[in-house]
Amino acid sequence: MFYLKVLEITSLYTILVLGVYLLTGLTGLFSLGQGGFVSIGAYTAAIAYLKFHVPFPLALVMAILMGMIVGLFIGIPTLRLRRDYFLLVTFGFGEMVRASLLYLAQLTGGAMGLAGIPKLVGLPLILVSIIVITFILYNLKNSRFGRNCIAIRDDELAAASMGINVYAHKIKVFLLSAAITSYGGALYAFVIMFIEPNLFNWLESAKLIIITFVGGMNSLSGVLVTSMVYYSFGEFFRFVDVWRDVLLALVVILVTIFRPGGLFGSWEIFSGNLLKKRKEEAL
Amino acid sequence: MHIIFQQLLNGLSLGGVYALEAVGFGLIFNVLKFSNFSHSAIVAISAYFGFFISRYLFPNFAVTLLMTAIFGGLIGVVIEKLIFRPIRLKNAPLTLFLVNSITAAMLVQQVFAATLGSDYYTYPEFMKETAWRLGAFTVSKTYVIMLTISALVLLFLSYIIRKTKIGIAIRAASSDIRTPSLMGVNVDFIVSVAFFLAGILGGITGYLLGMTYSVDPFIGSMILKGIIAAIIGGIGSLGGGVIAGLLLGATESLLISQIGASLTPIVVYSSIIILLLIRPEGISGKRFIVKA
Repeated sequence: MFYLKVLEITSLYTILVLGVYLLTGLTGLFSLGQGGFVSIGAYTAAIAYLKFHVPFPLALVMAILMGMIVGLFIGIPTLRLRRDYFLLVTFGFGEMVRASLLYLAQLTGGAMGLAGIPKLVGLPLILVSIIVITFILYNLKNSRFGRNCIAIRDDELAAASMGINVYAHKIKVFLLSAAITSYGGALYAFVIMFIEPNLFNWLESAKLIIITFVGGMNSLSGVLVTSMVYYSFGEFFRFVDVWRDVLLALVVILVTIFRPGGLFGSWEIFSGNLLKKRKEEAL
Repeated sequence: MHIIFQQLLNGLSLGGVYALEAVGFGLIFNVLKFSNFSHSAIVAISAYFGFFISRYLFPNFAVTLLMTAIFGGLIGVVIEKLIFRPIRLKNAPLTLFLVNSITAAMLVQQVFAATLGSDYYTYPEFMKETAWRLGAFTVSKTYVIMLTISALVLLFLSYIIRKTKIGIAIRAASSDIRTPSLMGVNVDFIVSVAFFLAGILGGITGYLLGMTYSVDPFIGSMILKGIIAAIIGGIGSLGGGVIAGLLLGATESLLISQIGASLTPIVVYSSIIILLLIRPEGISGKRFIVKA
């Protein structure tokens, strides 16, 4: 039972990490406001379900849509500019969501949080979601769109001069990432059954980015493994919770210095690495 | 009317601290071109350092402020040597600098949360009287001192950047980090100096913030205000950052007195997004373009 619970929470966080992988690992955009999207997703779904009696599947869809609409508002002004603006504005965005949730106390319950959400999401749905999202991302990564994104990540100017519409790609990626993250947030609300405005601060958003880097920007499987290890470790060793982050931080600094590609480099489980290597050797 | 004037004064003195943050942030942005979140680590460490020395060592304002400032500068250099120099020497992409700076911020916050997090600390009272009466106004001494110190520090920094040889080298490195080394400038040294100066600003920021509020592990995240000031001023423009910081502080406290503390952050953050839509180069009008 306990292990199931751990797996549930770990998998929930992994959905969020996947959203960040798309944004940061694939496209090189840093968002410290992912927590904002988690809150938006969680609150939209929970309020729709509790206060307006919207059926559960529809509430999930509403959460995703809400996340994307807000993402559009943030994305349009910032993604045209240097990447730093995006990072800094999303940092403020996370705080803005928190302030808004506190301000709209009548709807959201304010600092007291929103309790009494039924547990409608179990492990099967979460795992299926992870598999579906991973499948989408994996195919995206190997598609023309994904390769364009990687080109943008590595050198924006060069990518633009090759005819890639940088702005449009960034907007699409950001919206997709916002959708995944708000979906994760909505699931979160129906697993944990209680949400509050301080659910996800900038530090949690930063951890998502950091995990992506430890796993390796080019390795979706690596990011999945790192995320699973990190978050389940946290559930097993609750008493050293804070030191876990200290350990993570030290690992990151060592990784960026000695293995800048991430722990897993560009390793993937399913890409038939061995086969490829043999081909390369033959050539 | 009196209340508004009073709020304006309080706001300006907080704005002075925001300006310090914005300049400390902008200094590193200018030289290395990445958003330095580890500035929040310096602020947090200095806030604790300032608390401990003023409480247990010298209960004297000026001495402890000076010590904290220098300590902050040293922390800045240590951070640079430990986590930024190794990747800089490998010509790592900017993203790695960013990751490391965020990591440093997280590391420091969590170490403090793990060791000292259960308590919050308040600085000792340095002055017997806490306020001056000027006619109809009551002026808080802390606020006046904050504003004065911020102004002095910024003037001093502006002198260093404009007039001294090292300041010229920093400005040269800001426009291009590679070329000055061909002119015989020791770029490694210049980067360290930039971190030292930014660290001094961070140290003073930490001290002033700790003195005004109380010290807790999350004090570092207050640099968010400085970052916002930096955006409004135009990232990379130190003068713009100072003006924007003062403006932000004043606006913020006026808004708090007029529409309440819970609505203020929402208004401030949404105006940033609108500002970026209309005039992304900020007050200064200096625009950063991605160069090859």
